[in-house]
Amino acid sequence: MNGIELKNVSYKYPLTDFFALKDINFTFEKGKFYGIIGPNSGGKTSLCNLVRGLIPHFYQGDLSGDVLIEGKDVRNWDSNLLSTKIGYIFQNPFTQISGVKDTVLEEIALGLENLGIEKNEMIERIIEVVKLLKIEDLIKKNPNNLSGGQRQRVAFASIIAMNNDILVIDEPTSQLDPESTSDVFEIIDMLKEQGKTILLVEHKVDLIGEYSDEVLVMNNGQIVDNGTPMEVFSNKALLELDVAMPQVALLSHDMNRLDQPFEYITITKSQAKEQIVKRMGCVNGSN
Amino acid sequence: MSVSRLHLIQMEGELYMDYEYVFSFNKPQLTGNWFLDLNPLTKLNLVIAIAIFSIISKSWQVSVCIIILYFLIAAIAGKFYSFAKIYIKLGLLIGSLLFIMRAMFIPGKNTLFSFLVFNITQEGVNQGVWFSTLVVSLCGSLVLYSKVTRAKDLMFALEKLGAPHSATYIILSSLQSIIDLGERAKLIMDSQKARGIETEGTIFQRVKAFMPIMGPLLLGAISSTEEKAIAMDARAFSSPTKNTHMSELRQFPLWEKMMVLLINISLILFIIWRLI
Repeated sequence: MNGIELKNVSYKYPLTDFFALKDINFTFEKGKFYGIIGPNSGGKTSLCNLVRGLIPHFYQGDLSGDVLIEGKDVRNWDSNLLSTKIGYIFQNPFTQISGVKDTVLEEIALGLENLGIEKNEMIERIIEVVKLLKIEDLIKKNPNNLSGGQRQRVAFASIIAMNNDILVIDEPTSQLDPESTSDVFEIIDMLKEQGKTILLVEHKVDLIGEYSDEVLVMNNGQIVDNGTPMEVFSNKALLELDVAMPQVALLSHDMNRLDQPFEYITITKSQAKEQIVKRMGCVNGSN
Repeated sequence: MSVSRLHLIQMEGELYMDYEYVFSFNKPQLTGNWFLDLNPLTKLNLVIAIAIFSIISKSWQVSVCIIILYFLIAAIAGKFYSFAKIYIKLGLLIGSLLFIMRAMFIPGKNTLFSFLVFNITQEGVNQGVWFSTLVVSLCGSLVLYSKVTRAKDLMFALEKLGAPHSATYIILSSLQSIIDLGERAKLIMDSQKARGIETEGTIFQRVKAFMPIMGPLLLGAISSTEEKAIAMDARAFSSPTKNTHMSELRQFPLWEKMMVLLINISLILFIIWRLI
């Protein structure tokens, strides 16, 4: 079933002459995890703004084509209703904190209060996300005094607690350490298992390769490639566009160049390990 | 899983969750201090009544008594130090300034001291004492209220009375913005300092260092406002559903209602007495 359909979509921000998004045709299916990658200024955040309905409701600009969210054009959606349907976590952790709550617990509750959730359920959901994000030690702290990484986790917890059907997540791990980053990906994977549609913009392509169902590559406002991680990261042409690839995919491409190809382009560490072990087995066997 | 069952679970190896704190939101979060725990609107009523009393009485002795009363209330509320720290500085600054201005420029028949164009009269001094103590006492009501009431509690109480959610958010957010701007200014000043620019010294040097940061400070504030609006939208701020609240406000007990009634009736009687 289709969640979000984009048909011939182009968009220019107000007072600009260039297209932030150009001729986008894509369908985001319900319950899938989409990784969105590409160089800076490629249109990734603009795509998020579009899917979230901030374009055209918040950013006016020049939008053409059809953006259908659950079959209804984004222009016809009440933007207030869209916020209850689509959760949005964006890059800057410092502006995602409301600034009006004294503790992290109350900060997480803010979205639930706005959704009119009853207190018992509110507490239940808060406990769940606090445990999930491993921020038990933060609940009594003032969100305005947290570090960037802590704020990012709190912002993430606040949106997850709202239990939206669709999640648009723009670089949620930019301020996180490797361990917390892995945790975030595991949580996103778990949300996918719960049937949520997830659009994740991320530069950490190794994890995108491992977790996402489909990858979209954006450059100059266009989708230059899309498909399963295997299909996308097997595309050598992307290297010329400066698109980041998982380390193990780069290793596979290098092996191809050396005329010592693996059986396939490896995307995950386990695949690379399997191929290397096989190769070493061959070498040892020949010896 | 029900909340009560969750309460009991603290799994081994799990990070410590302060469930007592989480469940404290099921009832009003009281401090144990009877004055602090008064309803924010009761406290507001009280300070407004005192301020009106001070204006109507037109007596510097009453204003001084009220100033002393503020210190007493602050002490009862356990906020003496934080109140006194701000109020004494503010009172001395505003009080002395107003006294000097009034004393020097209000004409009168009984000259006490004359110097160049300045003619200090008994009438000017009397006016100065009355006016400065009045203004200091009025400032005291504001400072005291800010010390004994959390802004969010007042806004919550106003929301309960029917004030729009957006209006209370704007007020709270504006108060936080002042703090954020101060922090951002400090950050920029520190960056300037790290680049070798002199940011300390005389007032002139400080002003000179501060002026160039006004541009980035204001531009930064404007751009963060846009992102904040998006962040609030992501939290369903404008959701058409009627919002609920995590916090609870303490209900007005009968004695508190009676106290408010008594204060207001006394004030009305005092006003009538003064007018007659």
